[in-house]
Amino acid sequence: MQPFGLDLDYVAVVVLFCVGLYMLVAKSNLLKKLLGLNVMETAVFAFIVTAGMVEGGDPPIMVAGTSAPFASPIPHAMVLTGIVVAVSVTAVALALIVQIHAHFGTIEIDELKELP
Amino acid sequence: MRPWSLLLVLLVALPLVAGVATLPPHDAPDAPIHTQVGALYLERGVAETGMKNMVTAVLLNYRGFDTFIEVVVIFTALAAVLALPKGSAPVPKGSAPVPKGSAPVPKGSAPVGKGSSPTSPSAGAARSREDEERPEVASDVPVSPVVRFVVRLLAPFIAMFAVAMLFRGHITPGGGFQAAAVFAAIFIALGLALGQDRAARLVPVDWRPWLQGVAPLAFALVAWIGWRLTGAFLGYPIHDHTAQEAMGFVLEIGIAVGGGVILARVFLEMET
Repeated sequence: MQPFGLDLDYVAVVVLFCVGLYMLVAKSNLLKKLLGLNVMETAVFAFIVTAGMVEGGDPPIMVAGTSAPFASPIPHAMVLTGIVVAVSVTAVALALIVQIHAHFGTIEIDELKELP
Repeated sequence: MRPWSLLLVLLVALPLVAGVATLPPHDAPDAPIHTQVGALYLERGVAETGMKNMVTAVLLNYRGFDTFIEVVVIFTALAAVLALPKGSAPVPKGSAPVPKGSAPVPKGSAPVGKGSSPTSPSAGAARSREDEERPEVASDVPVSPVVRFVVRLLAPFIAMFAVAMLFRGHITPGGGFQAAAVFAAIFIALGLALGQDRAARLVPVDWRPWLQGVAPLAFALVAWIGWRLTGAFLGYPIHDHTAQEAMGFVLEIGIAVGGGVILARVFLEMET
């Protein structure tokens, strides 16, 4: 389905990305910002995997039972790399947020700015 | 703040939609993603790598460097998490301005000062009460017996699923990273249901430093073997499918064990 020449799958990905961006920009809670970042990352992964799919495609595994149009294997490998990097970023950010909470008693940006 | 955020989101969204509109349909067989190097991998992959799962072939063979750096990245993330000071006592900043001027709260000597210094009895008492309360709060999390039973019941089966995903990853969707995620999930579920101590006992303390680094170490080993066999760092002997499978197997196990332990350890570090 392509109204106005737009691929709805891609548009959905853009919407998801923008939801994440809004969370990242508008929320003052650091955890919510991190959640927004993760939503944005998910949108990027969904975009790459969507681009790699083909009409009626099988998973790119060459065993009996799979046949000719295969989904492209490169996006899957790239997304796997991206997920690992996203997990790493999330882990370090969460550890920093725990530290911030331990030292200042809050993770709200508004309140952190007012601290002496 | 809110209208500006919405404006920014719109400013980002419009070029994105415009860019997406110029892309070929996402399932078209003649899109560049299906006609360029991806098609080449699909065509030659089995003959060149001996692997049937092309995602694994791309991950470990064609783009092995990428994955090597990837496991180094997650290892570095664990190192960064471990490098942060652990369990530092929270400073109650909300009530800080009042006691700050009257009596400076000694950070480490609170229990000593409780009996000896008569100048700040209230601060000492508050401090000791806080110290007493904290472990209670930590152990007081109520875990339903149902949850505990179900987690204990399911853990071996989830572990079997992870092992199956690891060892059948060459002919089904799956592989090292997925198995690592499931291994870590078991660990975290056990930690939540039975307590951190029980879960931490699953991984012996002496092994932890090595298990955490086992993914980069496996890659280094395979890269060295490849260098000895082919003369190229992380090279694969193209006509020796047995050697290729063995190298891929070492990598998958290293990624599964190392990745799982790293994810579980990150969770353990958060939980204090």
